Amino acid sequence: MTHLPRRCVLAGLAAGSALALSPARFAMAQSAAPIKLGFQLHRTGIGASYGRWYERTAQAALTRVNAAGGINGRPVEIVFEDDGTDPKRGAEVVDKLVSQHGCDLIFGPLFSHVVIGSAPRAGELKVPYLVCSEGYHVASGMLNRWTLQPGITDVRAQVSSMAPWVTSTLGKKVTMVFPDYAFGHDHRDFFTAAVEAQGGQIVAKIAVPPTETSFTRYFPQIPADTDVLYHVMVGPAVLTFVKELGEFYGSGARPQIFGFIDSLEAVDLAGPGLEFLEGTHFWEGHCRVKQADAPAWEGEYRAAVGVDDNGASVSDAKDVATYAHMFSVWETLSVIKQGMEAAGYQSTADRQKFVEAVEAMTGFDAGLDHVQGTKTFNGKTHQVFGQQFISKVEGGKLIRVHATAIEDGLYPDAVDYTTQSF
Amino acid sequence: MHRLPVLAALILLAGPALACALPPSIVLTLPTGYYMAAAAATVALTAWLARHGAPAGLAPRVLWTARWTPPLMLTSYLSLLGLIGLLFLGFAGARDPMHNLLTLIVWTGIWVALPLASMLLGNLWQGLNPWTGIVRLTRQMLGRQGGIGLARLGHWPAVAGLLAFGWFMLVSLSPDDPLVLARVITVYLLVIYILAVLEGEDWLARGEFLTVYLTALSRLAPIWREGGRRLIGLPGAQIPGLPPLTRSEIAFLTLILAILTFDGLMETFFWLALIGENPLEFTGRSAVRGVNSAGLLAAWALTAATILGAARWGAHLGRVPVPAGAVLLSFLAIAAGYHAAHYLLTLLTAGQYTLSALNDPFFRGDALLGLEPFYVSMGFLTDPATMRLIWNLQFALILGAHLLALVLAQRLTPAGTAPRAHLPMTILMVLYTVLGLWLLSTARGL
Repeated sequence: MTHLPRRCVLAGLAAGSALALSPARFAMAQSAAPIKLGFQLHRTGIGASYGRWYERTAQAALTRVNAAGGINGRPVEIVFEDDGTDPKRGAEVVDKLVSQHGCDLIFGPLFSHVVIGSAPRAGELKVPYLVCSEGYHVASGMLNRWTLQPGITDVRAQVSSMAPWVTSTLGKKVTMVFPDYAFGHDHRDFFTAAVEAQGGQIVAKIAVPPTETSFTRYFPQIPADTDVLYHVMVGPAVLTFVKELGEFYGSGARPQIFGFIDSLEAVDLAGPGLEFLEGTHFWEGHCRVKQADAPAWEGEYRAAVGVDDNGASVSDAKDVATYAHMFSVWETLSVIKQGMEAAGYQSTADRQKFVEAVEAMTGFDAGLDHVQGTKTFNGKTHQVFGQQFISKVEGGKLIRVHATAIEDGLYPDAVDYTTQSF
Repeated sequence: MHRLPVLAALILLAGPALACALPPSIVLTLPTGYYMAAAAATVALTAWLARHGAPAGLAPRVLWTARWTPPLMLTSYLSLLGLIGLLFLGFAGARDPMHNLLTLIVWTGIWVALPLASMLLGNLWQGLNPWTGIVRLTRQMLGRQGGIGLARLGHWPAVAGLLAFGWFMLVSLSPDDPLVLARVITVYLLVIYILAVLEGEDWLARGEFLTVYLTALSRLAPIWREGGRRLIGLPGAQIPGLPPLTRSEIAFLTLILAILTFDGLMETFFWLALIGENPLEFTGRSAVRGVNSAGLLAAWALTAATILGAARWGAHLGRVPVPAGAVLLSFLAIAAGYHAAHYLLTLLTAGQYTLSALNDPFFRGDALLGLEPFYVSMGFLTDPATMRLIWNLQFALILGAHLLALVLAQRLTPAGTAPRAHLPMTILMVLYTVLGLWLLSTARGL
């Protein structure tokens, strides 16, 4: 554990750092009481490695918001409650944050099953629930008017937007290897449709049971005429997957390989055992490695969350962040601030006004508030859409080779939440 | 379910409630199958070499004779005060369990660091037990002597306490939640306090599970106290001098083994597949409370049945009336070794949060331990060299514990017993070695 200059870390670590700031700074507000935001945190359970970085990002974003005068002149506080990455606890956490802690709204959950299990309770309690989940469940219409996803593009748009570049650059005949459950099926279905729309073809769909820990027997199913191998394996056996895939192809010819960084989020690609990935491509929601043309705010954001130019913790070069996803927490807090200010938010009585203010938004400009890039917001579907990135592993580093257009991922609206009652 | 456990490969991260989900596993890529085979062979070979009786080892030596012993009542009061302070933090402190000292101290301090320290340094709990002082004081103030007959129940109250604890830690929905934890500990603290006031503080050594467990672990320590003397000896040297385990002590020992085993098992792909959970998308504890409650009880039944069965079979083969309670003492070593290996990563991961929270309990930028604020770091979990080192350490702990258990089992059997009497226990120890290593290295879903 590297020790850091105290001031730099306090910015990231101080819980309820609003309280440490001078009250005078917030004197303009009608009420000096802090705005309380509830954070539904995957602190334990299967989502904990994401939760750690989500919390770190939230603390950094909070410090920034408070340093800039808070929201509507009031200091901001975040109450973190662990949901154990469990849908039932998730619903309880929503309850607690609202009833016990009196939070003005709730944000932060990532895992789809937790979001789906918690959103109905948020709807019942009529509390804004801003998720950082990238699930299609918001835009699909299965949730409710109180649930919004303004910080991260959903998986349907992410996957679909990959197809034009993959088919035009890597090849038109694609074999997909995916885990055989909902997560993998989303990739299979959305990507198949998008590839076919581009005149490409899925030549094989190899579904791997989620309990599998060795993959050698699946590789012979990859057709010889495959141009592109698309993989989205996740879980503890991913390193084994890469190792065995490398052994399967050896040093001979292999198809182009394209994957989703979800597989290796928080893993150093330059580490031993991953050499086979050299020259392959990945989707990234936010480029882990600071690119040569990175805008100035990218560096400011990294400094705030304590991440170096390679996407690792400034205190430990091996501790790679969940960089492709965690910006959503930062950006969601920006949207909360903008929405509360647009709504003239004063108290929990203004929760509905806040939702309506966010629904009225149409997009966000890239900058320190929206570090991942420019976005379009669809107030009807409560879903944001941003550009996506394709990076190539070069010397163990992910170097961006393509940025999609926002339009590449758009699809017809499946719902209009604004017509639903509150 | 897809393959035999021994062939399945591998990840590690154990840990009770505070386990941190891992990135893809390095350990799954290591040749852990060879490690298991080598460990099994070593245990079997050792048993064969020691078939005519294990060497007695070196006699314990007196390190020093203390003129002064710590005032146990005073340390007990201080411990109680500390606990009350932690409970206050549980009720009123940070809601994030990784920022709340109650959660952190309980799950990384009392449940991980303290047992490890007890195995090395002896019965530290004797001085830390928060009940002894206040119970004695209360009894003196009430003028109370004698008891209400709880002693007749033997260790069964501790067995009940341990079972409740095991269920709370492994199965209940939110054992990390500071408020839940504070409530549970407050209730337990009061219940034990009342019972001990009624029965006398000596009852704690039989009726309170943590006292029973930590005292038992400390029997393995290479240094210990007898009267005013500090002795040093080989690990486990105190065990042969202990009386055979009673029925309730056997229940306690088999339950602790079952809790440790099930703690590992319930996160494996093997178990998750068995109960129909997708290990890559684990629904969460709320979905598995029923089946995991049953699993915990089944693990206890299976552990007790195999160990008692092996002991009885051995006595039958040797045609000598060896009390099962004597040989079973050797399983203390296995419990200790597995506890250490299993929770090593909890100590290295969640332990960092504990250190950070001790250094700066109110997150104001204090440095009570003199440490500059630091980010908690999990990079070592993705570093092949470090993870190989950790795996090897766990391997050594498991193998060492089983070899010690084997030698103790030989020592605890009357001299002159036919070598074949050891066969069932040897087979069991070999299987236990493989099981322990498999649990630490197989794929885990959460």
